[in-house]
Amino acid sequence: MSVEALETPFAVDPEATVFARAGIMRRLARDRVAATAAVLLTGIVLAAVFAPWIAPYDPYYTDLTKVMQTPSAQHWFGTDNTGRDILSRIIFGTRSTLMLGLVGVIVGGLLGGVLGILAAYYRRLDGWIMRLVDVMLAFPAILIGLAVAAIFGAGLTAVVIALVVATVPDVARVARGAAVGVMGQEFMEAGRAVGVSDGALIWRYLTLNCISTIFVFLTLRFGQIILIGSALGFLGMGAQPPTAELGMMAAQGRDFLFMAPHIATIPSFAIFVIVLAANLLGDAFRDVLDPRLQT
Amino acid sequence: MSEVPVLQVDGLVKHFQVSRGIILRRQVGLVRAVEDVSFEIARGETLALVGESGCGKSTTGRLVLRLMDPTSGSVRFKGEEIANLGKDALRRLRRHMQIIFQDPYASLNPRMTVGEILAEPQRVHDIGDAASREARGRELLEIVGLLPEHASRYPHQFSGGQRQRIGIARALAVNPDLIICDEPVSALDVSIQAQIVNLLQNLQQRFGLSYLFIAHDLAVVKHISDRVAVMYLGKLVEIADKKTIYARPLHPYTHALLSAIPKPDPSLRAKRVMLQGDVPSPFNPPSGCRFHTRCVHAQPRCSAEEPKLREAAPGHRVACHFFETLPVPVIIARAGAANGKFAERLAAFEAAKEKRTVEV
Repeated sequence: MSVEALETPFAVDPEATVFARAGIMRRLARDRVAATAAVLLTGIVLAAVFAPWIAPYDPYYTDLTKVMQTPSAQHWFGTDNTGRDILSRIIFGTRSTLMLGLVGVIVGGLLGGVLGILAAYYRRLDGWIMRLVDVMLAFPAILIGLAVAAIFGAGLTAVVIALVVATVPDVARVARGAAVGVMGQEFMEAGRAVGVSDGALIWRYLTLNCISTIFVFLTLRFGQIILIGSALGFLGMGAQPPTAELGMMAAQGRDFLFMAPHIATIPSFAIFVIVLAANLLGDAFRDVLDPRLQT
Repeated sequence: MSEVPVLQVDGLVKHFQVSRGIILRRQVGLVRAVEDVSFEIARGETLALVGESGCGKSTTGRLVLRLMDPTSGSVRFKGEEIANLGKDALRRLRRHMQIIFQDPYASLNPRMTVGEILAEPQRVHDIGDAASREARGRELLEIVGLLPEHASRYPHQFSGGQRQRIGIARALAVNPDLIICDEPVSALDVSIQAQIVNLLQNLQQRFGLSYLFIAHDLAVVKHISDRVAVMYLGKLVEIADKKTIYARPLHPYTHALLSAIPKPDPSLRAKRVMLQGDVPSPFNPPSGCRFHTRCVHAQPRCSAEEPKLREAAPGHRVACHFFETLPVPVIIARAGAANGKFAERLAAFEAAKEKRTVEV
């Protein structure tokens, strides 16, 4: 039997490797702001990773002869109240700050994503999961941090737990929203009609189709998490002295705000730059990945 | 027909509960989406299920496939009751019943290549190994009129008609006996509709498929179906073979449906049977005959007593108290010539295809 030939040949598509990651990167690079933010963030991450080689001084070496010096050629960002080099401390401080952000985003994203997707897939669980999420949403992250610190003692672990708990409900909501949209698509039903198992449906049909939404949300969330983490550090809930951590450094500098404003302002500015870069990059990712925002 | 029908549906009912409250859920009402629907489909036969939107035709299709669980009633596939099968048995059943969806844009997973989409049903049912599944995928693409190389592409690279062909190929992948076609052509434009309808017919002849063809376009239904079942608000109002239903419809609702087929001949100014108002809500369906609120022939008995499906002739059943005495609308006699344009296209298409077959 002959079949009707189709008269619609395909235009040769140079990006035939669909959703071509290369294409996304190229479009990101075309966006000036995003490119700058990406370069900046990459630089910060590299500096944090290779801190021992990059930092000009030992971040914990106190030199009481050089207390509260303003920025100079020797100490680019000046020294703090115990004579430690602020640039070195910021480079090391970025490590814990970025680590907080990453762990918060990854662990919180995973837990929240799983909760949201399960809520969308199993309608029976929906009410229960989302009410739990509502309860979690009702607590401010700072309050959770205080509670956790009160139970386990202050430290980076307490901050990480607080950040994860603060991230989970937001991610769960976004993931559920995206997944409910995908659930309404006929291909979910087609998968069921074919006999695909629940696990495969959840992963290959549901999750893969809402993962870009979740990813974009998490990149935007990264900046906020760093901000909350720094705030907890500022309140003394996070890393304990003498560990370098940006929020705590700002808190310590606060006492000398009138004598040596740079001790508090420079770490604060570093936080500002990291959060801004992360947010700009997140925005750009959303523009590139969300088909609805494309012209 | 001594053979066991491929599908027997008996007294199928689906009520959707409407409930309020989160933890203390209480039921505040019932949507009677499908109420006491019975029909059967023989091997190689096409039963068309027609009706307005919201009348429960798609729900019926999904109940037959057990994509939804029926409230009550029985569905037998080749004599085997499937209305209460367990999960594993249900998966095995999916090898024999498949579905083609209405919207070709939403029914293919955008994250899978066409090859993966076509291999999926075989993988799920443990048919062959990776290589043979791929080969089968290519074969299926050819069967539905696409090119084997298309296997490596993603759904968004295809047009609507091509996507629908992929949907058909997916349904064919496991060699089913019955395919539920849930408005397979209503999202496509007319020229593509004809191609897809023809493809479905070719496949039916080639593989001996049975179709439950859900549609609201009576011109398409006339072309493809053997028998037609008309639904209104979740109930079957008339079922008969195609010729009978187009030539001598008995239920007033069928009259109205048939007269709504557009006629491309402006000289035919026959009076149309116009229905007043909208379909009442299945949340609170009218008493008695559900059609009485819009029926021009309604009498007091209609709102009091629910009509049963009665045999009007062998194989022709009607749910109306008064079908014997209803006047036959003039329009019906001419309805046969009503789908001129579409029929013309189909005819031209068939002729061209025949020519091509001969050449090959």
